[in-house]
Amino acid sequence: MNRKLFVLSALLTIAVLATACSPKAAPPSAAPQAPATQAPATEAPATEAPAAPLVLKIANTANITTWDPIASFSTEAAYMANVYEQLIRLNPPGSAEQFTPLLAESWEKNDDGTVWTFHLRQGVKFHDGEAMNAAAVKKSIEAAKDHGGASFIWAPLDTIEAADEYTVKFNLKYAAPVDLIAASLYGAWIVSPKALDAAAADENYWANGVEAGTGPYMIESYTPDAEIVFTRFDDYWGGWQPNQYEKVLTLIVPESTTQQQMLEGGEVDLVTVIPSESVEAFRNNPDYTVLEEPSFFNYVGFFNTVKKPLDNVKVRQALSYAIPYDDIIKIAVKGLGTQSRGPVPAGVWPWSSEVKQYTYDIEKAKALLKEAGYENGGFSINLTYASENPAETAFAPLIKDSFAQVGVDVTITPMEFSQQWELAKADPAKAQDMFLLLYWPTYSDAGSDNLWSMFYYTEKPFFNLSYWNSPDFNKDLDDAIALTVTDPAASQGKYVEAMNLLVDEAPGVFFFDTKARFIIPNRIEGFHYNLNYPFVHYFFYDLHPAG
Amino acid sequence: MRQLEFIIRRVLTSIFVLIGVSVMTFVISRVIPTNAAALYIGPKARPEDIERVTKQLGLDKPLPVQYAVYMTELLHGDLGNSISTKRPVLDEITGRLPATLELLFSAMLFATLVGVPLGVLSARWQGNPLDIGVRTLSILGVSMPAFYLGLLLQILFFRNLDILPLAGRVSGDLRFTNPIQPITNFFLIDSLLTRNWVALKDVFLHLILPSLTLAAYPLGLIARMTRAAMLETLEQDYIRTARAYGIRDYVVTYLYALKNAINPTLTVVGLTFAFALTGAFFVEIIFNWPGLGLFTVRSLLNVDYPAVMGVTLFGATGYVLINLFVDIIQAWMDPRVSLK
Repeated sequence: MNRKLFVLSALLTIAVLATACSPKAAPPSAAPQAPATQAPATEAPATEAPAAPLVLKIANTANITTWDPIASFSTEAAYMANVYEQLIRLNPPGSAEQFTPLLAESWEKNDDGTVWTFHLRQGVKFHDGEAMNAAAVKKSIEAAKDHGGASFIWAPLDTIEAADEYTVKFNLKYAAPVDLIAASLYGAWIVSPKALDAAAADENYWANGVEAGTGPYMIESYTPDAEIVFTRFDDYWGGWQPNQYEKVLTLIVPESTTQQQMLEGGEVDLVTVIPSESVEAFRNNPDYTVLEEPSFFNYVGFFNTVKKPLDNVKVRQALSYAIPYDDIIKIAVKGLGTQSRGPVPAGVWPWSSEVKQYTYDIEKAKALLKEAGYENGGFSINLTYASENPAETAFAPLIKDSFAQVGVDVTITPMEFSQQWELAKADPAKAQDMFLLLYWPTYSDAGSDNLWSMFYYTEKPFFNLSYWNSPDFNKDLDDAIALTVTDPAASQGKYVEAMNLLVDEAPGVFFFDTKARFIIPNRIEGFHYNLNYPFVHYFFYDLHPAG
Repeated sequence: MRQLEFIIRRVLTSIFVLIGVSVMTFVISRVIPTNAAALYIGPKARPEDIERVTKQLGLDKPLPVQYAVYMTELLHGDLGNSISTKRPVLDEITGRLPATLELLFSAMLFATLVGVPLGVLSARWQGNPLDIGVRTLSILGVSMPAFYLGLLLQILFFRNLDILPLAGRVSGDLRFTNPIQPITNFFLIDSLLTRNWVALKDVFLHLILPSLTLAAYPLGLIARMTRAAMLETLEQDYIRTARAYGIRDYVVTYLYALKNAINPTLTVVGLTFAFALTGAFFVEIIFNWPGLGLFTVRSLLNVDYPAVMGVTLFGATGYVLINLFVDIIQAWMDPRVSLK
């Protein structure tokens, strides 16, 4: 019996191990067992390396939804932007120059803005050794236009041609700001043609963190849900200073409290998010600098303009007056935001201070409801929001409380965003009455993106979830978009006209533009915030240790 | 012969259980009003791109056809590609499994090695302070939610005492100073095989808190189970006889009594092992442990149906196998347990 027990327990252990591990995938690089004994010998020099590399450690919430630079359209941009480059980069508002040249050194357009010519930087190499030239740019942009995640940004593009080794010509169907499009964080990376060919043949080519960019850093290793190690690309065209980081370790840490503990415990140098309630402590700590800068995200609430009583403009205006804007900013993002002027976030083209805002005014709201024939409210509406968004979760009840004061009853329905969106697109007549949305422009043109996407009428709704159809607005917007390149001043004028019409007609509520917050320890220098690339957080190349 | 017949029958029913699970998961993950193609592209997908990806993923075909395609690919060992990571689901599962199993094994080892002796001692000294202590501990272990216990341990051992690491499997610096050579991807084993002592220590320290958190529930259960079985056994005539012969106390307790009392405990160990797999989900999130749990939670939140299908089928298979295994062992250990 005793031996039986022993054999059994041994068997149990082995069997559980075996069943659980049966589909074990041998790591491709793992050598057979034999060299195990030799490993320490070869390892030894590494452990006593003369000088440890200069390493930057960052905790980032951003996960990787794909390493495919063409398909990339999500949070992995934080890493892509350090590995790949666009032709040019857009500088923050107020900079001396609008753009920073990256792979293109100079560019010009013809008079009607339909042909753009970019002159490329010479002698640039991709990380895989291929040469960066006009053919590579053509191939990358064509791939992005054909099957990129953000392929629509290239909608104006007709053909792209390699005029010579270092000159690329973009021929457009209609005038469009190719400089802004080429500076996009999505769908504008220039990728090695060799890698693009390999990826076309193998859909899992990029899966394990393969990359082929020209940027300052290369991906050394990637462990899903855990970490990404970057190492510097020695042949980077920008060159290297001795105090720049040789390696960057990014730990993927979704929890803000964990990030805070890691920062305070010295496990990382930089974080991307900490709990709002801890910010004051960092502000009072002389070892840290807290920066709060305008970002290009904003919160919008769509009224369903095809359903009663929200088809009545007076009702929509009344409800727009019944929104406690300041309290919402206080509760939703702990004050880290400013009330919006229409759907264009502050600092992004074509934002203007001339666009009107509603104020919180319950009396005015009541008066307007009375005019509309709804004295003391007396109707109820159904509001949906994305349950995974903590800010919306926090401020949706404020809307309910405030609307209750004017006699409007609100039923709040939280849903996964994808479900909320599918229901809203299905049938406007049966859809929600109010839809909360967090929005941002794909590239820094909120005219052709935010304004068009959210309020231009299309037969099948997409992000225009007010289902609002104003021919005047649509016409103004068409004109403004067409003039963007050739006559920016006239374009801005048209945009202001369109936005004021929009605010007056109130098919949506424009809650607030968010701000980005950075907590930078004084031991790190060189950080510059760029409003146009909030997803990036940190361009590693800019950073260096203090002193 | 009857045993063989039993096993074959059990395996056959298990297959039907798994098919049922696959149908249910498949249907549930598809009736949710969400658009997988939109999720595939990203938060701001355009209609024309959604249409393109819908075709690419085969989502335009009728549901039964999609299921047939899925099952055919499954039988060829292809679980499809994850929507949220674009990597093959099989790679995602096998790549993360070692991290989860390493945590699971160390937790179960700890729970068993500590739980069984505690249960025995508590039964042997029934009613005295030691017994009361063990009983309190096991009730605490069983009833304390893992996520709460994990946070408490982090605050105590990382923040206040600063003797154990906060989260993760290894320290950030380790990969630059003493990188672990991946052989089995069980970091303890790998660092042992390559005699990487610095890494071994680091890995061990990182394992302590998550293992303790995960072990709390099975530990409590094992201790209580062992105690109850031991109490019953210690009352038996043969124990009294043994004592009357003047056989030493620890021999009676550990050799004669425990051997007969261990059977229910074994069942509990087997079943909580499967249960702990779900417990590991919470623990992995709190400790940022790059295992299956973290992946599953992310897949669920992203309505990543190929990943959810893959993980569910994988988990169900594991559960069925462990159950089968425990049944067979029980019958072999104790002939009185019928295999019916």
